[in-house]
Amino acid sequence: MISTFEQRRRRTGLFFVAPALIVLAAILFYPIVDSILLALQRVQLAGGAVTQQWTGFGNFERLFADAVFWKAARNTAYFSVMEVVLVTFLSLGVALLLNHSFGRSGFFRILLIVPWALAPVANAVLWKWILNANYGVLNGMLKSLGVIENNQVWLGTPFSALNFLLIVDVWKSVPFVALLMLAGLQRVPQSLYRAAYMDGAGPWRSFLHVTLPTMRGVIAIAIVLQTIWSLRVFDLVFVLTRGGPADATVLLNFLAYRVTFNFLDLGYGAAIANIIFALTFLLAAAYVWLLWPREPKGAR
Amino acid sequence: MIHSFNRRTLLKAGAAAGATMALPDFLGRTAQAQAAGLNVFSPLPPDPAPPGAAKFSEEAFAKWQADNGATVAYETLAWPQLHDRMATAFASGAAPWDITYNCGWVPEFESFLSPYADTLPKALVDDLPASSFATTTVGGKRYGTVFTLSLLTLFYNKELLEQAGFKEAPKTWDEMKACAKEMTRDGRFGFVLNYGDPAGIGGTASYWMVFLQQAGGKLYGEDGLPSFKSDEGVAALQMIVDLMPSTDPGSISYAGINDATNVLLAGRAGMMMNWPFMWNAANDPKQSQIVGKMTSAILPAGPKGSASIDGTDAWTIVKSSKNQDKAQKLIEFYLDAEVQKRQVLDTGWLPIRLSVLGDPEVQAKAPNAAVVLEQAKHPYDSFVTADYNQVTVAIGTEVQQALQGSKTAAQAIADAHEAVTAIVKRRG
Repeated sequence: MISTFEQRRRRTGLFFVAPALIVLAAILFYPIVDSILLALQRVQLAGGAVTQQWTGFGNFERLFADAVFWKAARNTAYFSVMEVVLVTFLSLGVALLLNHSFGRSGFFRILLIVPWALAPVANAVLWKWILNANYGVLNGMLKSLGVIENNQVWLGTPFSALNFLLIVDVWKSVPFVALLMLAGLQRVPQSLYRAAYMDGAGPWRSFLHVTLPTMRGVIAIAIVLQTIWSLRVFDLVFVLTRGGPADATVLLNFLAYRVTFNFLDLGYGAAIANIIFALTFLLAAAYVWLLWPREPKGAR
Repeated sequence: MIHSFNRRTLLKAGAAAGATMALPDFLGRTAQAQAAGLNVFSPLPPDPAPPGAAKFSEEAFAKWQADNGATVAYETLAWPQLHDRMATAFASGAAPWDITYNCGWVPEFESFLSPYADTLPKALVDDLPASSFATTTVGGKRYGTVFTLSLLTLFYNKELLEQAGFKEAPKTWDEMKACAKEMTRDGRFGFVLNYGDPAGIGGTASYWMVFLQQAGGKLYGEDGLPSFKSDEGVAALQMIVDLMPSTDPGSISYAGINDATNVLLAGRAGMMMNWPFMWNAANDPKQSQIVGKMTSAILPAGPKGSASIDGTDAWTIVKSSKNQDKAQKLIEFYLDAEVQKRQVLDTGWLPIRLSVLGDPEVQAKAPNAAVVLEQAKHPYDSFVTADYNQVTVAIGTEVQQALQGSKTAAQAIADAHEAVTAIVKRRG
């Protein structure tokens, strides 16, 4: 059988790509499969080793009856939705300001990137001190401005603690998404604005009918990325609240960690981690779909 | 002799050079193989750490290594990360240590540890409180040796206490509540503690266990099932709830003991339960604004008297260690009377050896030693089990709800009891 040049070219390509595929399989595919298998077992540390016993979907059935899991799921849903809404709107606002002639200085862009550049744990420790009930800068500032009379325990009540975690994560996430949106804004053809101006559109209508539609793809990508990142939040919970008070700030990722490493219930922890993985996978698929190159409508 | 620089000569020269370069490394490795390398997993100071990791008995430590032909390498981590690091290492089958620190986790990791403490010299064992082995004994075998007498006692600011109209530390629950209430004034609070993290020894649940024992209750019954859905269990939680109006409200957000300790050392709170290390910290001008004002006393008595919990800081030997004998010798060195004495004098962590605790120099430098010894005459069970973290998270979360007023003490205890029963039954 004589192979064509194209077939030989593909085979050679595959040969060159093979090492990378093997590495990817080892570091991505194997852990994912192993984690799924782990979620189907009861895993214990006993007899100086890890003992495994198949339980089928027992761990997943346990999830549905676990009040803490549902609390973590509700917390995560609230956290993710609010984070995406806040980060998207704030980032768009910041991007618009940076795109304005007054905001084009490199200084503002460097300043903007600082929260994003901070190491996650350093960021969490920083906020732990800012929010400290006795010595926190936030209490000090608000007291000196006369906004509050007594120090407040910002991480002391369920509602307040969860929302302060949210604020801290939004603070850290806005810079990157703002830069993403700024790049999108700068790609909007100026001719469209001029055409809108000629048609009598003011700044608001230009924004609504020119800027937003042109940036739809960038905004969609930002939303998907931010949702994925919000599902991965762990460091803030670990440093600031340890899931407290009364599990009010337990997010799914933290719960997976707590069950796996604190309780050593490895199978059940893997089941929770797999739920997060499935959600993230779906979102990643949406991200790929959004980025997939398409032919313009009407093209032949 | 230009012709000698051909390809073969160059290859020979390269091989010879490579062999020469490898030789010292080979010899070095041989030399290292002769000296036993011991790896010790320890907390970072200011938590209790051994010589070499903490600054005490350093000369004696160097001499021990030279005399025993051993080199000791430490892996130190902040206390809150110790458990998870050990769990990961044991689960992966790659625990690189000979000796590990343990704190109430012996029942959990028992299958990875050696029961070496059964073979400690009699003279040493006789000098340790028999009760100190309670938390390191599983199935009748002793897996660890506690190296510091670490019970919770009451630390209080005597100046604030006197300003509040009291001459001595509270001795009963009622006195404690009254005292805390009077001390709560001028932006200060009568009491402070870290209720932010429910888990483990030093977590919210463990503090409730102190009051539980003072009320005369136990966590588990003879059948191994939870037995705290009782008047004692509710009374213990109600006591903490009753203290809340006089407690620094930030306590519910403090995840570690250091957060609460800082408040006391800044003079912003009057009392707290704490471990013995507090004494040195309170009298160190670099850390404390209340130098000379701190005193300690045994914990106030509930309906059944005083009680506490045990920090259970112990040294254990990993079953997979290839240097079991030398590891045991190193632990015996850590428990040597002179090392134990320097431990308390230089770090503030009390010794566990009774002879050292009775040493006049130790008693003069650490007046709280007598208080801790007195506290040790009362019950101090930490109720550690293989699923201690899970149990304490279940109880601590309910305690937090009661402290916030979202549940009554009775409701919280009933719910905690139900959750712990499920955990124990799942344990089987």
